[in-house]
Amino acid sequence: MKKIILILILLIAIVSSNYANIKVVASTTVIYDLVKEIGKDKVAVDFIARGDQDPHFVEVLPSYMLKLRNADIFFRIGMGLEMWSNQLIDGSRNSSLKVIDLSTDIDKKEVPNYKPDASYGDVHPFGNPHYWLDPENAKVMAKEIYETLASESHQDEAFFKKNLDEFNSRIDKKMQEWTNTMQKVKGKSVLFFHASWIYFADRFGIKTAGFVEPKPGIAPSPSHNAELVQIIKSKNIKTIVMENFYSDSAPNQLAQLTGVKVVKVATAVYGIKSVNSYIDMIDNIVNQIIQNS
Amino acid sequence: MNKLLFALFLLVIVSGSIDAQSSINPDISLIGTFNTFTNFIKGTPEYGKLNFGDPEMELFVDGYLNPFARATANISYENNTFGVEELYGNIVRGLPFDMQIKAGKFLVGFGKLNTVHPHAWPFLERPLFHQVFFGEGGLNDVGVNFSFLIPTGDVFTNLDLGIFKGKSMIPQTDSNAIDHGINPIFVGRLSTFWSLDDYTNLEVGLSGSYGAYSKGNLILFSIIKNVDNIETFNYLYGGIDFKFKYAPDSYTVLTIQGEGILNHRTVPRVDFFGVDNTTASSKKISNSGFFIYADYKFQKQFSFGVKYDYTAGILGDLPTFYSLSNDDKNSTQGFETWFSYYPVEETSVVRLGLQHLIYDYDDGTSRPAETTIKLQFLFSLGPHKAHPF
Ligand SMILES: [Zn+2]
Repeated sequence: MKKIILILILLIAIVSSNYANIKVVASTTVIYDLVKEIGKDKVAVDFIARGDQDPHFVEVLPSYMLKLRNADIFFRIGMGLEMWSNQLIDGSRNSSLKVIDLSTDIDKKEVPNYKPDASYGDVHPFGNPHYWLDPENAKVMAKEIYETLASESHQDEAFFKKNLDEFNSRIDKKMQEWTNTMQKVKGKSVLFFHASWIYFADRFGIKTAGFVEPKPGIAPSPSHNAELVQIIKSKNIKTIVMENFYSDSAPNQLAQLTGVKVVKVATAVYGIKSVNSYIDMIDNIVNQIIQNS
Repeated sequence: MNKLLFALFLLVIVSGSIDAQSSINPDISLIGTFNTFTNFIKGTPEYGKLNFGDPEMELFVDGYLNPFARATANISYENNTFGVEELYGNIVRGLPFDMQIKAGKFLVGFGKLNTVHPHAWPFLERPLFHQVFFGEGGLNDVGVNFSFLIPTGDVFTNLDLGIFKGKSMIPQTDSNAIDHGINPIFVGRLSTFWSLDDYTNLEVGLSGSYGAYSKGNLILFSIIKNVDNIETFNYLYGGIDFKFKYAPDSYTVLTIQGEGILNHRTVPRVDFFGVDNTTASSKKISNSGFFIYADYKFQKQFSFGVKYDYTAGILGDLPTFYSLSNDDKNSTQGFETWFSYYPVEETSVVRLGLQHLIYDYDDGTSRPAETTIKLQFLFSLGPHKAHPF
């Protein structure tokens, strides 16, 4: 009898040591990818917003609450991007869930110094939350993820640290490549669809000529499009860059009127078939912009 | 006085939100509704004319009390009076058995639609059976609800059990309806949610409600022989509901939703067998109601849909022991269609709706069908809210 118990205990120990011991849910697929990079097989991770979905507008589904119900940690972008996330946390009923906002150490841009008001568009009330499009910020996010995972599982700290260092050095290497490639468009003006590109544009020295959305989160309008035609002509703009989950009907109109090229890219991992990691994603964005400029 | 209190309340909230721009402030949103309508009901003063309804308003104040609990107040302004539509606290996390407790006055979850505020419905008119079986404002009551997650693996299953004051269930206002009797009622709902794929979701629910809706001495209903007979009149509701949503991209949503109710209750009935031979007794009756609608939203800014309604009872009847939910003889059918335009996101919407009502009387009374056309303007001021399924 004692032997059986001993074997059982051993079995449980073996199974549980191989089993991923931290359960993580990421609000977006970019965070999901970074958690996988740092946590590898010590972490079981799932995500909520799909890569082909506008992260501002995710429906509060009970199935997402179930994901959070069993999680130890929930990572989110913060700055009001996931206005749907509190309802999911409430619905999860998980009172031991750690909610980690990855924007904490980010150098935030476009933080309003006026009282946020819906007349400015209502989806960026705490500043521009699209910071993950700057690869340097991916390193800041990765560090925050590393610190959280390490404090959750001290015995794996060295393992996570090693993964973090590896990830950072890969980003650094790619960063040189991306910067070199983007030299070709440096200083040029680009039109963007949604105000999600300031971090990317600043990093690679692109000028933002304007946005197809009149205000963040506000649908394109004919009068605004007419203004954009003037901007495209006067500034000799060659490219409109947009997320692939937005409707391209307004950008296509501009393309017909002015000959500008519409570049649809994924701004999340799994946003299109070939983008399966954060590095894939930036690769794809950089290549698409270069090919169409 | 009502208005003065409300003005004070507003002042406190507004000054609070100006002084302290911290994120600890509750969220405040204001929904305004403005209706114009015309009907084609012969003999009414509105016939064929453009009528302006009084504006309606709902003010929501809600926020976290702490990470585990929320509180919500909803003040309404309708028919030129202010009212507390909802006022409740909700403990959402940290309770034993992963329970959630909601206490106060709120929209009760018999079916799914009743807990959704009318401004968030795709259509304009409250389902007919809700008006007949829950009253004109829907099932809105004071009480406590306990919500439990049922462990069904990857499928989300929720059980709500609530006990309420039962005011919504006592629609009788006629002189016969003595001693409404404040007896608690019970309401429960078991619901299951499936993600069929990344773009398609389905929720199915079963509801039940039981309680007394009135108490009284049968002598007061008519000339009765059986003097000592004080009765409690009970009802039992069973409900079934479903909601299906298909959203292939962020611009297009197809929603199909339906709910049905079965009602069993005891009602007082008077039988005449001649001048000196009248008896009053309680009888058991059964009746039912349901609605189903489809709404198609396209290009994010437009939607249109159709709804079919059936309910026992004649819509608009005065509430008595023989009418509405106590009516097992007559019925009302409704057809509704609508077209909505959301000019800027969901902060404003213009809706054009048509409702056609058909009345069916058991005794052969003929009453012409009634058509109403409504144009509604609705705006919503306040922070952007996420959309629950
Ligand atoms: Zn945005």
